[in-house]
Amino acid sequence: MAGLIFLSAIVFLPALGALILLFFPASAETAIRRITLGITLVVFLMTLRLVFPGDGPAGETLLERSIHDVRFVAGEPGYQHALAVPWIRSFNIEYFLGIDGISLPLVLLTSFLSLLAAAASWSVTKHVKAYSVLFLLLETGMLGVFLALDFFLFYVFWEVMLLPMYFLIGIWGGPRKEYAAIKFFLFTLVGSVLMLIALLMLYFASDVRKLPEEARRQSLLSSEVMVKSLAPGDKPLHTFNLVALAKLGQMPDSPFNEPAWLGKSIAWWAFLLLLVGFLIKVPSVPVHTWLPDAHVEAPTPISMILAGILLKMGGYGIIRICYPICPQGAYELAWFVCGLGVVSMVYGALAAMAQQDFKRLVAYSSVSHMGYVVLGLGAWSLVPGVWDTQYWKMGMNGAMFQMIAHGISSAGMFFMVGVLYDRVHHRDLDKFGGIFGKMPAYTALAIVIFFAALGLPGLCGFIGEVLVIFAAFSYSRVLAIIGASVVILTAGYILWTVRRVYLGAEYRGPHAEALTPLTLREFTVGATLAVAAVVFGVFPQTVFHYMAPSVNRTVDEMAQWMKAVSVNVVESAAEETPEKVRHESTVVLDNLSSEVLEAGSQR
Amino acid sequence: MEAILPQLLLAAWLLPLLSFVVILLAGARMGEGGRGAGYLATLAVGVSCVLSIIALVWWLGHHPLGGHGGHSEVLTGDWYTLAQFESLRFSVGYYVDSLTLGMFVMVTFIAFWIHVYSFGYMHEELHDVHDPFVTGADGRNLVRPGRFHRFYQYLSLFCFSMLGLVVANNLFMVFAFWELVGICSYFLIGFYVERPSATLASNKAFIVNRVGDFGMIIGLATFLFACGTLHYAMPGNASEHHPGLFSIVKDATNQLQDKNNAASSHEGTPTNVGHEKAGGSSGLETANKIERNRALTPVLLTLAGLALFCGCIGKSAQFPLHVWLPDAMEGPTPVSALIHAATMVAAGVYLVARIYPLLTADALLVVALVGTITLFLAATMAVVATDIKRVLAYSTISQLGYMMLGLGVGGWVAGLFHLFTHAFFKALLFLGSGSVIHACGTNEMPAMGGLWRKMPWTAATMLVGCLAISGAGIPLVIGLSGYYSKDAILAQTFLFHRMNPLFGWMFYVALGVAGVTAFYMFRLWFLVFWGKPRDEHVAHHAHESPRTMVAALVVLAVLSVVSGWTVPGTSWGITSLLEQSRVTPATETGTLQSAVALRIPDEHASHEHTIHAWVSGLAFLAALIGFGIAAVFYGIRWLDPEDVRQRFRGVWELLAQRWYIDQIYDAVFVRNALRLAAVAAWIDRNIIDWLADHAALSVRRLSQWDDWIDRIFVDGAVNALAAGIYDMGIRLRRWQAGKIRVYIMWIVIGIVALFIIGTIYLGIGANISRG
Repeated sequence: MAGLIFLSAIVFLPALGALILLFFPASAETAIRRITLGITLVVFLMTLRLVFPGDGPAGETLLERSIHDVRFVAGEPGYQHALAVPWIRSFNIEYFLGIDGISLPLVLLTSFLSLLAAAASWSVTKHVKAYSVLFLLLETGMLGVFLALDFFLFYVFWEVMLLPMYFLIGIWGGPRKEYAAIKFFLFTLVGSVLMLIALLMLYFASDVRKLPEEARRQSLLSSEVMVKSLAPGDKPLHTFNLVALAKLGQMPDSPFNEPAWLGKSIAWWAFLLLLVGFLIKVPSVPVHTWLPDAHVEAPTPISMILAGILLKMGGYGIIRICYPICPQGAYELAWFVCGLGVVSMVYGALAAMAQQDFKRLVAYSSVSHMGYVVLGLGAWSLVPGVWDTQYWKMGMNGAMFQMIAHGISSAGMFFMVGVLYDRVHHRDLDKFGGIFGKMPAYTALAIVIFFAALGLPGLCGFIGEVLVIFAAFSYSRVLAIIGASVVILTAGYILWTVRRVYLGAEYRGPHAEALTPLTLREFTVGATLAVAAVVFGVFPQTVFHYMAPSVNRTVDEMAQWMKAVSVNVVESAAEETPEKVRHESTVVLDNLSSEVLEAGSQR
Repeated sequence: MEAILPQLLLAAWLLPLLSFVVILLAGARMGEGGRGAGYLATLAVGVSCVLSIIALVWWLGHHPLGGHGGHSEVLTGDWYTLAQFESLRFSVGYYVDSLTLGMFVMVTFIAFWIHVYSFGYMHEELHDVHDPFVTGADGRNLVRPGRFHRFYQYLSLFCFSMLGLVVANNLFMVFAFWELVGICSYFLIGFYVERPSATLASNKAFIVNRVGDFGMIIGLATFLFACGTLHYAMPGNASEHHPGLFSIVKDATNQLQDKNNAASSHEGTPTNVGHEKAGGSSGLETANKIERNRALTPVLLTLAGLALFCGCIGKSAQFPLHVWLPDAMEGPTPVSALIHAATMVAAGVYLVARIYPLLTADALLVVALVGTITLFLAATMAVVATDIKRVLAYSTISQLGYMMLGLGVGGWVAGLFHLFTHAFFKALLFLGSGSVIHACGTNEMPAMGGLWRKMPWTAATMLVGCLAISGAGIPLVIGLSGYYSKDAILAQTFLFHRMNPLFGWMFYVALGVAGVTAFYMFRLWFLVFWGKPRDEHVAHHAHESPRTMVAALVVLAVLSVVSGWTVPGTSWGITSLLEQSRVTPATETGTLQSAVALRIPDEHASHEHTIHAWVSGLAFLAALIGFGIAAVFYGIRWLDPEDVRQRFRGVWELLAQRWYIDQIYDAVFVRNALRLAAVAAWIDRNIIDWLADHAALSVRRLSQWDDWIDRIFVDGAVNALAAGIYDMGIRLRRWQAGKIRVYIMWIVIGIVALFIIGTIYLGIGANISRG
């Protein structure tokens, strides 16, 4: 219970802060800014408390431990501090928070970047109070998304985050802010609608009673639902519990295998809908065009949040929801996911190269870098008969690491652009130059950040990119080779940008006199990000240590599903007539390669 | 006892990093103008050098020289794990054999002297610098603060990266440091960030290198996929479970050979190692191997090896990725000496030597071919260049081509031997040219001439360098370092020529270019130091360089002479050191099926006296002819080079334009990439955004229609109803005339009507009920 309360406190503290800020006079700008910064700092420290070193009381179950100790146990693949309490009883909606190795780094990233973004928010001078309130609400939404384990709750947080963002872009943005804000809103809303459809599809197909009792217990259902599920009854007991849904989805005879439409199963359709919904957020080509506009118009701190955290929700959704719940759809659509990833990588890099606007360039680099995430998540490299999961694990871990790395580097890049914009009020790449001479400390930090994005070894971008490419190679050589070629394009646009902006003899744009050295506050934000880039690049284990067990668990679960399905197919093929087999598992059978059957018959 | 060696190397490796970090943080505050940074960096690399020498001595004490290669002693282990996924491990570790230690000593030694030299060369950076190459908008030359400490900071980072590359025990680590040396090179080429040409050159260098690295990533991915590891060899005897790359490839090759032997009795060639053996029942061990080697076909092995070689092509500036190195001369000259002559560019050669067991005969042939093409092209470019540093840059490319050729034709020791000797004499030549540039303030040789009077030390040491690179010596008796190493390569190529007549031309090209080398080097020397000063202004300014610079020149000159020799009375020398870790290519026996019937000759065969005598004589002759022609044109000026230039204008132009390769790349790759980028941006704005905007717009239209429908039909219907009722009301109003008589009349009519209706209705009703 202490764990649940602690997690709830993390999620709702910013919202509480927003509420308190409402009582402040709008003229007390400095106080409001400081309180906002203070709240984000407290949230950050609280999330840091989760990874506080030292062992908690040992020899107990995770649930019992969570009562005494809010620390996160590293190396533990399962959910921690996970507890569900009933929320809306008639639909079995639970208030269910929990944290595991996949969400922990993202939660830390969120609180960390929120803190830095709050520190970077001094440049916002319009309606400071409203800005701060929305900013804090946004943080609650983001943390909630990463911590919710109930699909409905997840959806609610997802929407909670959407509205503040809309206003933050639409009110505090640049000249085309209305267009950008509505574009952002509509794209994301389309994604939400698709997600909502999938959510309802899965909900109405789910039935907790179909789960074996052991799995039900592992799903951490709230005691009320648990009792309901034990009571006799024929009416299916629907659930939004993500863990239970995953367990259901991974059953060989999953209720989601029912055909839904056009000969495809519920799992297939749900996967596709969810995938598209999340890909809009990632964003992947061709649903990425909201991103450059939103970034260009958004104020600097909001760009940092947008690139650093919001994009990660797409990736998080894919690994937390799409894959575990609909493995069948994931397996069948793996080529689609990977293809989109590679296209995004190449296309984003090319588009970045053609930009004139500094911020647009950085935005497109995000498209390219998030393509790695999609590719790494999608590369279903498991070969039936060999069952070698290590490449797949490498790819998934690489993709997750890339999310963290990109969170650091893209937030950093937007911050760096913002620093310049605050001084000279333009972003035309051809009108910079010579910044190195005028702002040496700033340039040094910027170069570290940009090179982190370039994927330089020793900085955070390298590990994720390389692992993803390696893993993709064992899935599809062609895709891996195309993907690897992006390193050339990336070097091209980043170095070209560095040369145009930072190097050279003279500044070629307006307001040369405004190019003053960094303030202490700016330096702190920039240096923190640069140090983080180095730390994650040199000690990637700091992330993998927490992340890998949970990611590996996800992979293992899917590998098990695949084994179970193929063994089922093979066994029933041995026992029953072929027609009946085909009838029973149409979808599954058609898509498993003949190798499985060979392997099975040899067995 | 063995534990001390990795620690020594670790210390030697990390000291420059420490220096980098300190300078990064303390920067300009270290002494006047940042001079302290120079001392610190020099100290760090000096201590590194001492530690490396101690390590080498320790090693030689335990592994005495003189044995034959093939079963080399190796000490390997991991220091630190970056990430691990089941058995896929990415780590930082050491792989120590005599080659590693030799490289450590060579790199730190040259780096130390270049650090020393730079005190003199970079002294301008101690205070504000007046950059004559950059003119501001106001027409005046730029004046900027000095960056002495930055220079040493980058040098330290470079030393750290280079040593990391050398000590690496796995390809992942090699790749990481490969990129890091690339970025150091980027910083140092672009050291004069204010000069557009410098920043352009640094971008070009990094991006061209990335093209090679792209191939390298594919190579890494292939090996990781096929072998499940990127470690050369696994430490200790835990190798049963997870063997390193070398043993996996060896196993696969052996299996394949077995199968080939079997297949010669059967028909057809197997395509997949693992698959064929799947039916076998040799137990778990075989099954493990099969799984690992599931994809390691000869073709894949060749391709993977070549993919790795792509990285070497980029880093070692081999054709077709050689274009970056001449431009890299924009950097300060000590950098050119250290990075772009002695160490970093040789990393490609080093890596080929390291992964030698992974290269198939076909791959080695490609290595040799690339080397041959490169050494020829670069030498021709050097012939017409007038920028002193560019001549040396082309010469470097050409010499690296020799090394690749040597490795490709089976001369593992020969290629690496040339790497070492070349490092000394090319560093010397660059430092000499730096001394000249320092004195003259220009790179253009036509503006120099007759400098030997003013700078005797520089002239003399440069002459030693020229002699060394030309391979001067008394055949079969004694010679300068280049004499030994170049002859070793030529002899091995000659042997290759004998065994594979189809590729015999490589020997003649290499031999001919040996003459060209002598020609362009002495052309350089004569143009700079001989004759009369051609530019009074330059000659007037010229002076001998400060002692720090001269000291470095002398030390390197001595080494350029002696580094090919053996310690008197023993057979100890660089060759015997390398011989200790010599590896034979996995496919040396030549039984592997290759595209062309290839036989890679054994290296020891080329030591045969007759071959040696022949080749030595021919090479000497070629160099002599080259020297003679240079003397005729530029020394005694018996012939005028201008005449030749006029007569062969086309050829001259072709060479001066570097065979138009840069222009072709620009037209084919750079422009098309930019065009493609513009297309992508256009698609975004004009197709995807158009779709999105129009989707939104059409929804808006739809809602407008909806609004219209609402107003016309729904509202219309309601309004129409209302209007109808209203109309009726209006019409009805006519009847309300307000006259009582009319009302009464209507009332009466109404009552009567009701009465009639009621009667009829009730009556009928009554009738019905009644009857």
